[in-house]
Amino acid sequence: MDKNLLGYKGIKPVLAIVILLTLVQSASIIMFATWLAEVISALFAGESLHQQYSKIYMFLGAFLVRHIINFIQQKVTYAFAEATGASLRKQLMNKLFELGPRFAKTAGTGNLVTLVLEGVTKFRNYLELIIPRMVGMSILPWVILVYVFMQDITSGIILLVSMPILIVFMILIGLAARKHTERQLDTYRTLSNHFVDSLRGLETLKFLGQSRAHGHSISRVSDRYRSATMRTLRVAFLSSFALDFFTMLSVATVAVGLGLRLVDGNMALVTGLTVLILAPEYFLPVRMVGADFHATLDGKEAGAAMKSIIDEPMQQEAELKGSAKQREAAGVQWTAESKLVLSGVCVQHQVDANPSLNNVSAHIQGMQKIGIIGASGAGKSTLIDVLGGFLQPTAGQFELDGSAVNSLIHEAWRQLTTYIPQQPYLFSSSLADNIRFYSPEASAVEVEQAATAAGLSELVRSLPQGMDEMIGGGGRPLSGGQEQRVALARAFLSERPIMLLDEPTAHLDIETEYELKQTMLSLFNDKLVFLATHRLHWMPDMDKIIVLDHGQVAEVGTHQELIARKGAYYSLITSQMEGVQ
Amino acid sequence: MNSESWLRPYVRTYFGRFLLIIVLGSLTLLTASMLMFTSGFLISKAALRPENILMVYVPIVLVRTFGISRAVIHYVERLVSHDAVLRIVSKMRTRLYQILEPQALFISSRFRTGDVLGVLSDDIEYLQDVYLRTVFPTVVALVMYVFTIVALGSFDIQFALVMALYIFVLVAVLPWVSLLITKTKTKLAKQQRGQLYHKLTDAVLGMSDWVISGRPAQFLSTYEADEREVAHIEGQIKSWGRWRQLIGQCVIGLSVVSMVIWAGQQFADQHISATLIAAFVLVVFPIMDAFMPVSEAIEKIPRYQDSLSRLAEISSGERDSVEVSTLTTAEAQALASEGVDLKVEHASFRYSEQSPWSVQDLTLDIPQGKKIAIIGRSGAGKSTLLKLIEGALAPTSGTVQLSGKEAYQIGDQMPHVISVLNQSPHLFDTTVENNIRLGDREAADEDIRRVVQQVKLDQLIESLPLGYKTHMHETGQRFSGGERQRIALARVLLQNTPVVILDEPTVGLDPSTENELVRTMLDTMQGKTLIWVTHHLVAAEHMDEIIFMDNGAIAMRGTHAELMEKSARYRNLYLLDHPEAYVVE
Repeated sequence: MDKNLLGYKGIKPVLAIVILLTLVQSASIIMFATWLAEVISALFAGESLHQQYSKIYMFLGAFLVRHIINFIQQKVTYAFAEATGASLRKQLMNKLFELGPRFAKTAGTGNLVTLVLEGVTKFRNYLELIIPRMVGMSILPWVILVYVFMQDITSGIILLVSMPILIVFMILIGLAARKHTERQLDTYRTLSNHFVDSLRGLETLKFLGQSRAHGHSISRVSDRYRSATMRTLRVAFLSSFALDFFTMLSVATVAVGLGLRLVDGNMALVTGLTVLILAPEYFLPVRMVGADFHATLDGKEAGAAMKSIIDEPMQQEAELKGSAKQREAAGVQWTAESKLVLSGVCVQHQVDANPSLNNVSAHIQGMQKIGIIGASGAGKSTLIDVLGGFLQPTAGQFELDGSAVNSLIHEAWRQLTTYIPQQPYLFSSSLADNIRFYSPEASAVEVEQAATAAGLSELVRSLPQGMDEMIGGGGRPLSGGQEQRVALARAFLSERPIMLLDEPTAHLDIETEYELKQTMLSLFNDKLVFLATHRLHWMPDMDKIIVLDHGQVAEVGTHQELIARKGAYYSLITSQMEGVQ
Repeated sequence: MNSESWLRPYVRTYFGRFLLIIVLGSLTLLTASMLMFTSGFLISKAALRPENILMVYVPIVLVRTFGISRAVIHYVERLVSHDAVLRIVSKMRTRLYQILEPQALFISSRFRTGDVLGVLSDDIEYLQDVYLRTVFPTVVALVMYVFTIVALGSFDIQFALVMALYIFVLVAVLPWVSLLITKTKTKLAKQQRGQLYHKLTDAVLGMSDWVISGRPAQFLSTYEADEREVAHIEGQIKSWGRWRQLIGQCVIGLSVVSMVIWAGQQFADQHISATLIAAFVLVVFPIMDAFMPVSEAIEKIPRYQDSLSRLAEISSGERDSVEVSTLTTAEAQALASEGVDLKVEHASFRYSEQSPWSVQDLTLDIPQGKKIAIIGRSGAGKSTLLKLIEGALAPTSGTVQLSGKEAYQIGDQMPHVISVLNQSPHLFDTTVENNIRLGDREAADEDIRRVVQQVKLDQLIESLPLGYKTHMHETGQRFSGGERQRIALARVLLQNTPVVILDEPTVGLDPSTENELVRTMLDTMQGKTLIWVTHHLVAAEHMDEIIFMDNGAIAMRGTHAELMEKSARYRNLYLLDHPEAYVVE
């Protein structure tokens, strides 16, 4: 069924216990059937009830043993499923944080969160179901079948023959149903999405004056969806119909056959009753497998999805070679004398795609303000990701204060940096805790100072709870400019020497941008700043401008130098001017 | 409006179908039971060795009939019940749509976070289960209960009462206890799961901060601790589920034993024939099994609560709509065709007596063809002003008039007069052509070609294999942000109104895409009144008036040339947006 299954830690003892319990269970099923049959046939023969009491108790005992075993089996497999699910989740979470934000962005936040929360639950259900079902299916029917053969060969043959027929029909119908669904998958998807699509587009419909009329199309499409669904269900339900039909037919055939042989006098009533009681038990495991089929399939897929993330190749932590060993002990530093050299850095996300960064080289020294500009898709964000240690270049070298490294993915380097994206994320906690994020031990006074430096004092005064006001998801909503200021306060408080900013003001209104710019420039002092943006007004304030074009460095220099050169930078400025006029 | 109103009316509407489902459901259980009953009877009868095989002919036929019919009836029952439930879903969807439609322009401001519309649509899907997994199985079990006791009562009333007690444990006591035990736990588990969801989303969105701060281990350990707590509660629920199952099986075991003793006694007393002993005992298993699912069905009830209360909350949000138009379509079209003179005079608005003024004593004069830009921070009152002009809100004092008609009185005829292009116009999951045609359902194909040409997408669309029949969804990735705005712009052009509101349509586009789009917009909108809410000063030179809003009032206004001359602040802002100015520097 699932090759991975045997690979999970601790499954072997669980499997052994479940197999053992199932064996005992099959014995108890046979015993309760036999004893019940014996009691009934004795009563039928006119024996007194009193003589039967001991057997009745034995029947009850066997019956209970069977269900107590069920109980234990479920408990054992649940504990195993729970532990395995939890360990898988732990691995997955660790991996997610190792892979970092870039992976999260490509995989989609919603997908990942759903996978971690619902995927693990589904996977747990899968384990919980698959172990007893698999074992049950491979033991119970066959033990019962052997016993039935010992009692009555004809009934045994009927049961034996109906099992493969039943399974073949189920599979055939299942395949037919899937084909049927796949054939109309497109219409189906459109129809089922229509409603949520309509709701999301309600505002637009309203502006277009179509919202009233669209109400009719909701019910029309819903009805079409219903007919399409019913067409599919008619086929899909056939699979469980086949299961039902052949089970019942087989039991009925066994019963009729028993009846005929009893009439002929070739058999005792007790044998007939035993076989009749066992016949439904013979089919029970396969029916349960059928009933849980979809749940197990879901869980199996979720498990595979998680596994594929866990097996995702890792970005290697940079090795600080040679003399850097001592440096590491002392902690990596960035001072006014520090030097970082990039040589031939390339990033290629896919083998046959154009590289996002192509042979980028740069010299960076001390506390500079470095602007990174270029058209969209020129590689600005990729360069920031490389500099921030989020992304491993596919080729190229770095030299940090004389020691060579192959990437900046290193804890010590990250400890030096802060990162401000276009829309900084605010965690749902208090304003103070958000500011304190990089330095959790900071005192209230320090937080206050950081807030003031980032220009948040006015906001803090206006909040009813001041610094303790809850912000982020579920808390008080802040404007885009205020969010940026919180991120700035965070960076200021951390006192880390390197700041990375990716398009920090592009989405803000111009008045906010203007005020924010003044605050930012004051915070940039005595720091190494990388600012990627397409807002060119920042550039005169930069010490160095790196102009990117299709992943390559087109020009490097100050604003004045580049203007004078009338190259890529100049044409970028003039092209924006041409735009509207 | 209470939450039950989302469930009850449909029972009445579909009473016939519901009845059929209950009958079929009961028959399914009945045939399964009767198969065992007649089988038991058959082999007992056969064991008496009747001389003529015809003596067992009837039971043989019955056994075969029941054997075959159970599967068939069950199949039909599932189809009928799904069909009925899908009909209900269709009705619920229409209803939800009709509730949301009047509030369309306020939904995004009422529910700031998350995809509330997606959630509501899921809620309705989820309510299917109320019928399929709770109502139908429970009612069918109750019908079976009554039937079983009546049937048994015809033999022996006293014993029927004993069995009634056993079954009562399965259909009432266990479900009730189950509900008591799991209700709070389910709620708690769900709540904590919600928090986990929140926490994890938070962490994934803010992952770069966690990674840079060097604190992921800290997050992971607190997260694991929370997960363990939820797992503990869920484990308790599961554990009760196992106990419930075991207790139920004990009850079944006891009822089988009671049946054996009773049947033996009855036979000894000559009340029933020997052939019925096996029949009675064997039928106990399938019958009792029919009652086991009731607990599970009842246990689900608390899980529907959230969906129901969300829907109830939405229904209660129905506002007295101001949109009943006093104009006929023809009047609105006439108004539009003559050119619109938009006058806002001393208009003020606030959402309630307590809240601050969103728009305060604002006066604007916008004759046909004038182009104004509105700039302001978030919360400055721009959106409220637009809603006043769109007629979605009526001013608290002052007037907003279109050629002498109060804007809010034009109501749902407004789309003939004003069209809107906002930041994220919705493009529907249908073809490009259909999306554009939403601007004017009667538009001819040439009209569509014309507007597409105007927005400069003709080459792109005609180069696609399916051309205008290309599905938006399939090419969702292929159409860039700028192209999507152009499709929406084509739709607005097709709508062809004298007044166009542009509500930050270029946010998120890079400068060169933005500039090209702005140029296209200005080119195609000649002669139309343009009200352009913008976050920066692109194309300021082309505007007849630029208005800066602050706290619901106008802080600064004038033409570009005037402002450049008299306002230092304006000059600073203009410089930010116009890098070419630095070249001259």
